[in-house]
Parts: sequence; structure tokens; C-alpha cells
Amino acid sequence: MTEPADDDRPLVQAAQRDRSRFADLYDRHFERVYAFVAGRVRSRDVAEELTAEVFHKALGALPKYEWRGAPFAAWLIRIAANAVADRAVRASREQGAADSREPASGDLPADVEIERAEERARLFRFVDGLPRDQRAVIVERFVHERSIRETAARIGKSEGAVKQLQIRALHELRARMGGAHA
Amino acid sequence: MPKYSQRDIERLLGDLPRPEFRARLRKDLMPGVAIRPSAAPILRVRGAAAAIDFYVRAFGAHEQMRFEAGGTIPHAEIVIGDALLVVADENPEYGFPGPETVGGSTVGIRLDVDDVDAAIRRAVDAGARVARPASDQFYGERSGQVFDPFGYRWTLTKVIETMAVDEMQRRMASMTGAGGPRPPRAAVSHIPAGFHTVTAYPRVADAPALVEFLKRAFGAEQTMIAKSESGVHAEVRLGDSMLKIGGGASGIAAAIEPAPTAFHLYVPDVDAAYERALAAGAESMGAPQDMVYGERGCGVKDPSGNVWYVATAKGASHQPPGAQSLMVFLHPRRAEPVIAFMQRAFGATGVEKFASPDGVVHHAQLRIGDAVIEMGEANGPYQPMPARFYLYVEHVDAAFWKAIGAGATATNEPADQPYGERMAGVKDPFGNQWFIAARL
Repeated sequence: MTEPADDDRPLVQAAQRDRSRFADLYDRHFERVYAFVAGRVRSRDVAEELTAEVFHKALGALPKYEWRGAPFAAWLIRIAANAVADRAVRASREQGAADSREPASGDLPADVEIERAEERARLFRFVDGLPRDQRAVIVERFVHERSIRETAARIGKSEGAVKQLQIRALHELRARMGGAHA
Repeated sequence: MPKYSQRDIERLLGDLPRPEFRARLRKDLMPGVAIRPSAAPILRVRGAAAAIDFYVRAFGAHEQMRFEAGGTIPHAEIVIGDALLVVADENPEYGFPGPETVGGSTVGIRLDVDDVDAAIRRAVDAGARVARPASDQFYGERSGQVFDPFGYRWTLTKVIETMAVDEMQRRMASMTGAGGPRPPRAAVSHIPAGFHTVTAYPRVADAPALVEFLKRAFGAEQTMIAKSESGVHAEVRLGDSMLKIGGGASGIAAAIEPAPTAFHLYVPDVDAAYERALAAGAESMGAPQDMVYGERGCGVKDPSGNVWYVATAKGASHQPPGAQSLMVFLHPRRAEPVIAFMQRAFGATGVEKFASPDGVVHHAQLRIGDAVIEMGEANGPYQPMPARFYLYVEHVDAAFWKAIGAGATATNEPADQPYGERMAGVKDPFGNQWFIAARL
């Protein structure tokens, strides 16, 4: 599921010739960028705002992007790290409090952090691959943080069915992530 | 790789992005950059909104635009890779029907993917049905086919070896053993002697026991029996008809779950046959009585669970004109779709239907080649009993694809069998299994 980064080269070149082809890069890296940003900020709204910023910046800078052997993903993550840091600085100036989970710093993210983001991104892609009903339950429960009862009402299933779908989805996700029995 | 507990997974899911955000940002990033090739197919479907959702999930499409009017979608555009497809709600009244309305589409869609097997799994998870599993093709591609829920067939393929057309032709020639298509086999009939076009092929837990029962009860004649570790295959003659029987035997488990079949059998003397059947271990489902439609009939269930409507016609012969001695009697929930499928898939003809004023089809029959199949819509104790049929055709591959196109699902790819037949298998949408075969 996680693609080797070198595969990006033809996609980057295509997107440099034709902006509409940036969609392929977006589809490929959305989860990665979002997971990285979400790991560093508290709220979903901020994560969305920053993820949008990263991709808009990347699209704008793409014509200047040069292939120097570093993976395209690393370039995106650097933009993301800077965006998170800038925001933390802005927030501390404006409100006297940082929104970021970590102290602001312009440093490159540590490998371990990138690895954690990769794992989260992998999970997000697996959620996308779940059967429709299971995916709907996961989104209602974990994204919208709705109760079993609310979820049941929204997707038109019984509460028992929702519980079953959630159990099956979590089981499947854990299996795909290579989970141990806790 | 780290090991995750359920709690870890739940915690990580707390960071899951909103699906609508992903789609919105994608649109924001590429406003007005619409893919617009010179030609694009228009897929008319029953339920365009659901179809778009399916194409997004199954094939990674993204929606480029959607025009809605009066609760329908006359025009929407989806993009898969660099291809544009127009998706629209069907409008049969104005001459724009979809596949579900006309019974299939003649147009298929070829989609190049990175990983054929994964792409098929993803499509199936989203609701597609496999028409042909993935396999390597002689022309250098790995490909498989699925039907989307709206009636279009998608060929998911990946080039695994590039080659010139000459090479493809050379490989095809070496496969068929000659410089072109196989020569016609006029000398050999595609139907073995004594068989009709269609032969019932029930599977039971104990095949020899069923043969024994049929001998005792109905005077069946056993024409062959073959035993192996994997099961028993037997063939018997009943009047002018043959019956193939598969399954286990004492000490051999049936390879496939046995499923009973319902039959209509004409015998010279129904009262005698009824007595013999009970003596041979059958259970009565109704003693012989005169029926309003000019037969004397009874019902028995044999020890293997098959249901037999045994009858003697009144008149010159115990068997009415146009009937076979032995016919499968299906109990579909509705007869019409089954009839329509058999017409489209197998060229069934001679349909006769008897419905009551409330529209229930109590009896229908049709012909496939020189064979007759009967049915009556399920009611009361007569619930659907899907059957297994052995169908002899002239061209197995063509018949196989025709059945798939009519909505059947592949169970066995066409292949030459060691017993001198080319055979393919499909399951129809009503659960009946069809083995499509020709003598080689």
C-alpha cells in the first residue's frame, strides 16, 4: 500500500507539464500529509487548514521543484513541517498559546515521527478500502464522534448491526496493520 | 512492523480525516482543470448517483462535475486516471435505456490498473461481481473482468509483457495447434448419443444410493458409474431422458454441499410407481390423484431429498406430446426473470406460461435445444430449489460468454477435460449451476 517514493518521478514530471495531473500526486500523498499534520495539531479544523495550505504551496512550487534524488514525499513533509511550525509561531504571538502539540521549531521532523505518520496514513488508506457499511460506521464513530445510537439512525441500521460492523471493521484494520492480540 | 492493539487502532482512528475534506481540497486544488478528451463513453444507468459512488469506491474515480435536474442526473462526469466517462440516469421513455432495462450492455470498458488482482478485490468489495477471475493472457496481459452493479462489464488489465501483434498471432496459433481457429468438427456431434441438450445433474450425499432408488422406484437403467477419491459420478436413463448424478458415496464425502432438486417424471403407471417409490424408501408428498390438467400424478421425496412429481398422462401415451420423460421443475420466486435469462443466455424458445389472474405463474415451460425445463413460482411448501444442469452446446466458449453477458457468474473457465469434453461452468442469478460442455 505504501508506494516506494521513486515511483513519483513520472507523476511529478507529468504534473509539471500539466497541472491537472497534480491530482495523481494528491491522491497518492493526501493521507501521508494529513497524518503528519494531524499528529502535530490538536483539532481537525486546524489539521484540515494546514493540509490545504501544504498542497496549495506544493502545487504553486511544483514548477520549481527539481529532482535531486530525495523523494517527493520528503519534500511534501518538509513543507508540512514548516507550515505546522509557522502556525505555532503565529498562534503563540496572537493568543499567547501554541496550538501545536510540540514546541514550535523549524527543524526537520525526526524519522520516528515520519514513521508514525506513515503508519497512520496506512491505516487511513485501509479504512478507505473497507466495505461500504463498515467504512460508514468508522467515519460516523471516529470522525464525527457519534454514539452507536446516532450512527445507527444515520446509516439506517440497528444498533446491534452498527456494533457488529464496528467490531468487524476494527478487527479487519488491526489484521491489515499486522496487529497483535492485546 | 509495530504491533497494534485494538486500543491503538481506535486511538489512531481519532485522527482519521473527514472524507468530504479530502474531496473538497482535491477540487479546490484543481479548479476548472477538467479532463476533456475528444471522445468519452456515456454510461446510462439506473441510479446514476449510486453508480458514481460505486465507481469512486471500486475504481478510484473522482467526480468532475454533476448536473442534476428534477431528482435525476442527466449528466455527470467522472475521471479515472486520464479517462473521462459520462454517467447519466437512464431515461427509457425518451429512448435512453440502461443495461438493466434492456438486459445487458454490448459495450465493455477496459481499465488499465497497476495490480489486477487487488483491483478486482477492491471492485468486489464495493459491490461488483466477478465475471472472469484474473489470469495471464497469451497476448501479454494479466486481466480479469467484473460486472458493476449497473450492468457494465469492466476488463481490469495490466500489460505484463509487451509484444508485437505478429507475436500474439504466433502464440494464438500455437495454442490452437494450427494457423488459425480450430477447424469445424462436423464429424462428431457435440452431444453424446442418448442425451438431450440439457441434462439434470443433481449432487447428493450418496450417489449410488440414489441410483439404487431410481432403479427400484422408477425402473431407471444405470449407464455408467465412476468412483474416485473425490466422489462418484453416475448416469442413468429414465424413459427418453438421461440423468447425471454427482456426489459422495458411503465412505466418500460429497465434494460440494448436496442440494436437492425437484423433478417432473412421466411413467406408464403412476400408481405402481408411487407404491414402488415408497417401498424403496421415499416419503409421500401426496398420493396419486387425477389432476385437472389431464394427468394422474403424485409426489414423493426420495431418501436423498429430491422431490419427484410423478405423473401418467391420460391419452394415447403416458407422456404428453412435447414433454420429456424427465424434466427439472424449478420453483423460482418469480418465473419471468428466469425465463428471460434462459432466453438471453441459452436461446430458450417455446415458452408457455399458465398464470392465475393474480399474476402468479403456476406453470411454465421452455425449450433449450431439444430439452424441456419446467417451472412454477414458489409458493407454500414449494420454495426455490436451485438445480444443476449439464448443457451441451456446439461452441463452449461462445456459450459461456453469452451466459456471462446475460448475467451469469463464472464458476469454471472453459477448459478441455480429460474425459473428452470441453467444459465451462456458470451460476445464474437464481442460484442454478450450469455446466456448458461439448464433446471434443
